[in-house]
Amino acid sequence: MAAPETSTAAVPTLYTNNTLRNAFGGVLSFFILLLIGVMAFSIRLFSVIKYESVIHEFDPYFNYRVTQFLAKNGIYEFWNWFDDRTWYPLGRVIGGTVYPGLTLTAGTIWWLLNSLNIPLSVETVCVFTAPIFSAFASWATYLLTKEVKGTGAGLTAAALLAMVPSYISRSVAGSYDNEAVAIFALIFTFYLYIKTLNTGSLFYATLNSIAYFYMVCSWGGYTFIINLIPMHVLLCIVTGRFSSRLYIAYAPLVVLGTLLAALVPVVGFNAVMTSEHFASFLVFIIIHVVAFVYYIKGILSPKMFKVAVTLVVSVGLAVCCAVIAVLIALVASSPTKGWSGRSLSLLDPTYASKYIPIIASVSEHQPPTWPSYFMDINVLAFLVPAGIIACFLPLSDASSFVVLYIATSVYFSGVMVRLMLVLAPAACITSGIALSQAFDVFTGSIKFQLTGASSNTEVDAAETSSSTAESQTDAVKTEKPEETAKNRPSRKSKKKEREHGEKPSTEAKAEKKRLLALPLESSVHCVWAAAEAYSAPSIVLTSRSHDGLHVFDDFREAYAWLRHNTDVDDKVASWWDYGYQTTAMANRTVIVDNNTWNNTHIATVGTAMSSPERAAWEIFHSLDVKYVLVVFGGLVGYPSDDINKFLWMVRIGGGVFPHIKEPDYLVSSLC
Amino acid sequence: MAISYILLFILSFISISRFLVISKAGAESELVADLLTLQSQSESGVIHLNDRTVSKFITSTKTPRPYSLLIFFDAIPLHDKSDLRLPVLVHDFALVASSFIANHNGSNTKLFFCDLEFRESQSSFKLFDVNSLPNIYLVGPDAESLKDDTDQMEQSGFTRLTESLVEFIESRTQLTVGPIHHSPIISKKQMVLIIGFLLIWSPFAARKIFAGETMFHNPRIWLSGAIFVYFFSVSGAMHIIIRKMPMFLMDREDPNKLIFFYQGTGVQLGLEGFMVGFLYTIVGLLLAVVTHVLVYVKDLKTKRIGMLFSVFVSFWAVKQVIFLDNWKTRYAIHGFWPSRWN
Repeated sequence: MAAPETSTAAVPTLYTNNTLRNAFGGVLSFFILLLIGVMAFSIRLFSVIKYESVIHEFDPYFNYRVTQFLAKNGIYEFWNWFDDRTWYPLGRVIGGTVYPGLTLTAGTIWWLLNSLNIPLSVETVCVFTAPIFSAFASWATYLLTKEVKGTGAGLTAAALLAMVPSYISRSVAGSYDNEAVAIFALIFTFYLYIKTLNTGSLFYATLNSIAYFYMVCSWGGYTFIINLIPMHVLLCIVTGRFSSRLYIAYAPLVVLGTLLAALVPVVGFNAVMTSEHFASFLVFIIIHVVAFVYYIKGILSPKMFKVAVTLVVSVGLAVCCAVIAVLIALVASSPTKGWSGRSLSLLDPTYASKYIPIIASVSEHQPPTWPSYFMDINVLAFLVPAGIIACFLPLSDASSFVVLYIATSVYFSGVMVRLMLVLAPAACITSGIALSQAFDVFTGSIKFQLTGASSNTEVDAAETSSSTAESQTDAVKTEKPEETAKNRPSRKSKKKEREHGEKPSTEAKAEKKRLLALPLESSVHCVWAAAEAYSAPSIVLTSRSHDGLHVFDDFREAYAWLRHNTDVDDKVASWWDYGYQTTAMANRTVIVDNNTWNNTHIATVGTAMSSPERAAWEIFHSLDVKYVLVVFGGLVGYPSDDINKFLWMVRIGGGVFPHIKEPDYLVSSLC
Repeated sequence: MAISYILLFILSFISISRFLVISKAGAESELVADLLTLQSQSESGVIHLNDRTVSKFITSTKTPRPYSLLIFFDAIPLHDKSDLRLPVLVHDFALVASSFIANHNGSNTKLFFCDLEFRESQSSFKLFDVNSLPNIYLVGPDAESLKDDTDQMEQSGFTRLTESLVEFIESRTQLTVGPIHHSPIISKKQMVLIIGFLLIWSPFAARKIFAGETMFHNPRIWLSGAIFVYFFSVSGAMHIIIRKMPMFLMDREDPNKLIFFYQGTGVQLGLEGFMVGFLYTIVGLLLAVVTHVLVYVKDLKTKRIGMLFSVFVSFWAVKQVIFLDNWKTRYAIHGFWPSRWN
């Protein structure tokens, strides 16, 4: 059943020409990829140039502190680390609650460089991890799109991913967060899945499971993979594209992947117990049933098969209903039906705003408006529909996966603006396919006009064979021997490609110019977005006034003051936003931090912030707090200070302590 | 003789007063019976009052009344205003009313749920001195003046009306409401019907899927589905649904003009989103048409016209989106050469 790997040879007389052309194409692709990697790395360096090599925002500081601990104490200490300097007096089990992928990656790079006697500090390695992995991610996009539609599409998609603003926003130099490595892991896992689907090789299936393991280590978004791949497998089965390659692509992933995922302490037994993984097990059962049915069909004669089918269906249906009823009863007995709060808010978008104010308050979890799409994926928003249509002509397993990926990711990005990040690779892949196909057609028709050949289909076949060789081999690989009816439409379209329709060359040139204008505009926009919009480190603020540029380093000065003027064991209370930075930079114990795992503890601090001095002092005294950190932005016009967040303190505090009522803090207006 | 006169007087006084008491009790029980009839006539147990019945049951009766009335003030013309959420509040009020009556097995005569509509009963609104909506008033048994002696529910309670209403009733009238009976989304009968239908239909469906004949085997369906999902998401429709944004706004100064586009980030209107989503999608679709469909057309003139059309329309659409984005977010960017090159 394995399809031949060799590409269909061109006309023998042009054999030498073809090898030379292929070789030249290969070398050119290599250099283009190198340049794409350099571009991906350098476009993310604006904040290092404008400010300094510093870690941005809030969450990266926690990751940086964990990496420091890992670098200093080694992996066993890190794995068993109980942190008593946060969530005082509860503490936090770091080993069991953190996704270790990012930390281990940066730690490994640091250790490797240090053992080669390149003494980079941990901070430098952390700052530059994200740009390096974005270069890797664009190379992974090239590999993935090459599997779907060919080298040209791959290069275009890689170039687009290197530049797309929504990915830049989460992977600038200094943004040391999980998504920096997770997006690379996501694309690489998808590439290996498609590769296994196209080749049916168990080697790639194993690599796929290992890449999935790396993704589970890195980001909570791995549930997207473990739900998207089963959905695709189900789609293939339902549309009649079941084959042994599909089985090899899916079954080892479920078995090995689940086993490896359970190794990560954060996931543990959740890998088999939470509803987010049930889809993969359900489809695992279904694919085995379908494989069995096909096997039986091959053995029995058609009439016997029909009898067997009716018998099995009627018996199996009754058993199925009973099992489903039990499952529904089990799931319905849990209050959230077994889904975590964040996943549930994706399925029912209004869930978070009604029941979980902490999730609803985060600005990243709001639904985006249409300008967000223009800002974040820019020109790709126009090209995606063309890519979707190109994926259908012809439809193969790989291109149906791309369509499913873009449809699900665009829906989820519509619910939560944070998930635009998952949309970015899908948009790049589809737009890359669209652009490369369009350029193929237009370049072909201009070349056709220039060479003056009128109906020389042989020459056309030879000229286009090098570019269509890849797509033809893909089409060959996706043939289904049993379903001959499906083969006929795909063979028809192959013949049409060889006919090579003609386009009026002037209009083709005009169309090409218009198409070229899009990437030019896009690169202007992307560079602007990278430089101005997404390079702010948030820990250093700047403002321009009539007498020049002012730099506000208040945050770091405050933390430095705490570090130098207080005892090592003093406790600092603040709102949860500043917890990570306080522990990392000021090195003091905090009461609540950005992990927000204990709502009651946060509500206690919120109540203390909302109460009059005497009551607040009682609360803080019971928590052994000596210093309270409060951010006030009124003097310079900093808009996201604690006064702006005050109503959230009241709401969250009032959610646990009923004597805090929001209307008490509002002036009643009679209009 | 004098004693008999006194006795007669006392007897007559007692009998008259008893008659008065009985008639008053009779009148009262008649009112209660009327209220019970009105309650049974309405579907959810909420009695619809107007000026006449307000005077009959409240203003013309003597205190202490044997019942309290919980009145919901409504106005039909304001049902369209989404921020007041009046239809939701009416529904929640009716839910509490029906649960209350069900929990007391219909034997309750102490508390009645009523509503008043603005256009019919303007004078009653004035009696209660109600100027803003939504509003709920509790008229207790001893309330004399409707303006001062009646209990008004706090405005903050209207966000989760069922819970606050239960708390309000139980604290002011010392009556228990009991559990709220939410009507299920699918009633039991419907559920049985649906399950029966599914069981009968599933073997046929399975056979069809195996044979490959269903609608879902046609790739074009999936193609249109994917493009529709894309259009739906990119136009910010989820934002419209979650935030319940209107399709368009009325201009405040000029009532005949409609505002379709909202200037300012973070908020978009319904039609605005769909228009921009359409612009996003049309460029991609035209490019796909040019790449895959126009190539195989034989007639040169059709090809030329098709390509020119797609060039102009796509160019206009992209320009329009850029213009709209710059207008809406007040951000505009431009390319420039480095100053040293000049």
